[in-house]
Amino acid sequence: MAGTVIGEGLTIEGDITGDEEIVINGNLRGRLTTTDAVTVGSTAIVGADITGTSLSVAGQVTGDVTASERVDIQAGGKLIGHIKAARFTIADGASFKGNVDMEV
Amino acid sequence: MTRQHLELSVLGPATRVTGRINGDGALRIEGAVKGDVNVRGDTEIAEGGSLEGNVQGTALDIGGNLLGDAHAEGAIAVRSSAQVRGELRAAEVSIEAGARVSIRLETAFELDFGAAGRRR
Amino acid sequence: MAENSVIGSATVVSGHVRGAGALEILGRVEGDVTVTGDVVVGPTGRVRGNISAAELTVSGQVQGNLRGSEVVLVERGARVVGDIASPRIGIAPGALVRGHVQTDGEPALAQASFVKRPAVAARVGAPQPVPAALLKAPHKAEPRRLEPARSPPASVAAEAESAPVRPVKAEPRRPPPPVVPVISKGTKAKKKKSRD
Repeated sequence: MAGTVIGEGLTIEGDITGDEEIVINGNLRGRLTTTDAVTVGSTAIVGADITGTSLSVAGQVTGDVTASERVDIQAGGKLIGHIKAARFTIADGASFKGNVDMEV
Repeated sequence: MTRQHLELSVLGPATRVTGRINGDGALRIEGAVKGDVNVRGDTEIAEGGSLEGNVQGTALDIGGNLLGDAHAEGAIAVRSSAQVRGELRAAEVSIEAGARVSIRLETAFELDFGAAGRRR
Repeated sequence: MAENSVIGSATVVSGHVRGAGALEILGRVEGDVTVTGDVVVGPTGRVRGNISAAELTVSGQVQGNLRGSEVVLVERGARVVGDIASPRIGIAPGALVRGHVQTDGEPALAQASFVKRPAVAARVGAPQPVPAALLKAPHKAEPRRLEPARSPPASVAAEAESAPVRPVKAEPRRPPPPVVPVISKGTKAKKKKSRD
């Protein structure tokens, strides 16, 4: 697992931009933009708009998410914000509140 | 307060952060950070990484670029690949020859010249 | 025709030490040391003054500035209060140093859009006006003196010679910024008239 890992105990207030995979298990308040995959772990609390190729949410995200490929909200995950993605799944046990725009 | 979060955080080489970084756990900066870092854990600026801002950690290992002040409870190690500009404050600071520095060291200690000779 | 000299551990030198060749200091020196060769301050060495050498290795204690034209190494157990300047500087774990440490040339951090932090820029980059006390000092003031109060004894009473002691590697002294009246663009020169 290469790229960026923001551990459970870490809090970032600001913008993160990257050209690699980003895994967040801690807290982020700001913006997250990468040209690769984003994984929001179960312990993560994210208040940010997220842009990436794919996004997997197992923690809490408040913000709009844009993925060129797919967005998956896992069981136990929670997303409050709009989804813009070609494909998406919301697992049984996940929470979601927002609009979905599936670009065609 | 126990430090429960011992997970190592890594900001990869293709990652840029603009903003503050706080918290518990070790942190390795391989990318570019613009902002202050304040963590309860060992912090490393890897070769190729850069931090423009102040950094505070338990121990500091600097192999990349640091523009800002650094404060560690323990030791600060400046590697030969580092470029540092700022004030370093720690119990102990070591510098590998080859590092490019323009720094102020604020280490707390007294000289011990002994009784012989003139008093100043 | 340089020879190696030693200041023994039971010896105290009050006054400047100059010359060619290598020098090992195991005793006490109260004055500046300026040598074209290498200087070693042993663990028992105690120097209150500036030291200038080609290769300078310190294991003892120095209150003064260290300048090495090639390298300055501060070993474990050493204590240094003063500024250090050299192309290569090593400070070992277990050494204690307090002062400004500068390798030759400014670190090339300018490629990133680093914001100049006012505190750092003012301390490190800007040319410092030379305090009056230093101008009166018999030897050339060390460049980038950040805390004149901590400077090595500028008026060592025991100083034997009146000729200024020059450091082996003369770093270019930056003159204070010239005072130029600000003339904004578009200002027309005033015609001089007799005024009463």
